Amino acid sequence: MNPLNLAGRVLDRLEETLIATLMAAATLLIFVAVVHRYLAGMPIPGLQDWLLHIHLSWAQELCIFMFVWMAKFGAAYGVRTGIHVGVDVLVNRLAPARRKVMILFGLLAGALFTGIIATLGGIMVWKIGHTLQVSSDLEWPMWIVYLAIPLGSGLMCFRFLQVARRFNRDGELPHHDPGQVEGLDEPMDIAPGADNIHPLAGGAK
Amino acid sequence: MSAAIIFGLLLALMLTGMPISIALGLTVLTFLFTMTEVPIQAVAMKLFTGIESFEIMAIPFFILAGNFLTHGGVARRMIAFATSMVGHWPGGLGLAAVVACALFAAVSGSSPATVVAIGSILIPAMLKAGYPPRFGAGVVTTSGALGILIPPSIVMVLYAVSTNSSVGALFMAGVVPGLVLAFLLGLTTWWRAWRGGFPRNPRATWAERGRALRESLWGLLLIVLVLGGIYTGLFTPTEAAAVSAVYAFIVAVFVYKDMDLRDVPRVLLASANMSAMLLYIITNAILFSFLMTSEHIPQTMAQWLLDAGVGPIAFLLLVNVLLLVAGNVMEPSSITLIMAPILFPVAMKLGIDPIHFGIIMVVNMEVGMCHPPVGLNLYVASGIAKMGITELTIAVWPWLLTMLGFLGLVTYWPALSLALPRALAMMR
Repeated sequence: MNPLNLAGRVLDRLEETLIATLMAAATLLIFVAVVHRYLAGMPIPGLQDWLLHIHLSWAQELCIFMFVWMAKFGAAYGVRTGIHVGVDVLVNRLAPARRKVMILFGLLAGALFTGIIATLGGIMVWKIGHTLQVSSDLEWPMWIVYLAIPLGSGLMCFRFLQVARRFNRDGELPHHDPGQVEGLDEPMDIAPGADNIHPLAGGAK
Repeated sequence: MSAAIIFGLLLALMLTGMPISIALGLTVLTFLFTMTEVPIQAVAMKLFTGIESFEIMAIPFFILAGNFLTHGGVARRMIAFATSMVGHWPGGLGLAAVVACALFAAVSGSSPATVVAIGSILIPAMLKAGYPPRFGAGVVTTSGALGILIPPSIVMVLYAVSTNSSVGALFMAGVVPGLVLAFLLGLTTWWRAWRGGFPRNPRATWAERGRALRESLWGLLLIVLVLGGIYTGLFTPTEAAAVSAVYAFIVAVFVYKDMDLRDVPRVLLASANMSAMLLYIITNAILFSFLMTSEHIPQTMAQWLLDAGVGPIAFLLLVNVLLLVAGNVMEPSSITLIMAPILFPVAMKLGIDPIHFGIIMVVNMEVGMCHPPVGLNLYVASGIAKMGITELTIAVWPWLLTMLGFLGLVTYWPALSLALPRALAMMR
């Protein structure tokens, strides 16, 4: 495999792993914080003292940071899966040649916008990097947190260009289907008949 | 003047078919680059700080919970329970679809997800049982819209965020209208089935009903957990969403065992994909409303409407029409994020209750989702029912009329929405 393709594959995988992990981690974090708050309020000897020593006041802030990173990189992944939808009623009625021009225009506009944001974000991170600004609870340097903007937008810009190039070459667009149902591929059978009312007892896979 | 330029540009960009988020962002950038002194640096900053709120983080959690519930067998058991309760009436499976949609809506925050969860099981089942194809598709498409009215609801979170209202109060305000709409849709279904002489299921015995209830109990408990938790102040809506995501994961993987641990990364990725798309629209919409506020557009519009002598009744009618038209070309999250900051200040000046206004917008979105040419529910349902959009449009007609009537009811009878949150002392 040529090295460029390999790098592309690795980048794809990295992107997917990053956003899925952030999603899981943020959920667990808030769940643990809620459970902690209630357990610490219960008078259980030993456990209560131990729990009161742990402070999870930073959980909300960390959750927000994780989701912002997830959002920025997830938006780039979304370009690849075609989930960013627009108003396409008009465009789809155009003649194929014109439609192609319009879609390319839309994709390049996306690349332009994300490119500008990546640049602006980069400048902002650079400026904040020269200050001592830290986040309020975790006291992390803010420039690292804000790095999500130039990195995420930059990647998104790259994805728009990638999709535009592929569309120009093969005429294929990534398409997200909101109706796809994974795991529900065997429809349940509820035809009239008393014994079919509980098809779950044996039917659950 | 600047209002005309901003909206003209936005409309032109959107009609090219580019993603709505990009159209919003480019409008703001163009305007800032050419016409104002607002430091352009503020834009990048806003893209981060825009979603730096814990309230917004309820959205990814609710999406994750919804995906676990859809794929995890909770929907199946709710359908079995609903069928055992109402299946013996005329149009039994259709009524069961309405009830199952209402139940699933109470654990999920999205309409298309509700259509998928209930429709992919019940539409084929109804066809097999001998119902006309249009009947099954129509009932599920419209009942699925309950997903955003019955709490939890992603659209309500978006409205609350963009207008600084209470998510909890909005959720509670959605309960009664949601139940009323479910009843009305059920009534329409019953009437159509009774006229058409559609098949019924045999009456289930109480023992069977008890068993169906016991099996679906894990899903039903989630309703109590989320609504009860928010109401008693046990947790904030965002925490409730995170807890329900973990709960749904445990139920799907360890209790019902309908999902393998191996499937979990895929569900996480799909949820992250959907959440990131919404969060990206949110950031750009916040950027857009920041631009409008700095240009004083909502205030100017409010003044203009007041000077023209538009009263609350005419204004609400205008809102209904505007949102229904917008619903023809855009999906609900974008509409809420773009329209709420514009319409909200006007509504406040006219003395309309913020929570009531939120419910009006949500019901409008519901109708918009079942309404051609771009109803999200229509698309999803047409995929499941293997029915063209045009035919499906005819199929949803009876229920759509009911929903339009209901929209009028909700718009001009505030107490329907506000009585419950007031009684619970969640609002004044």
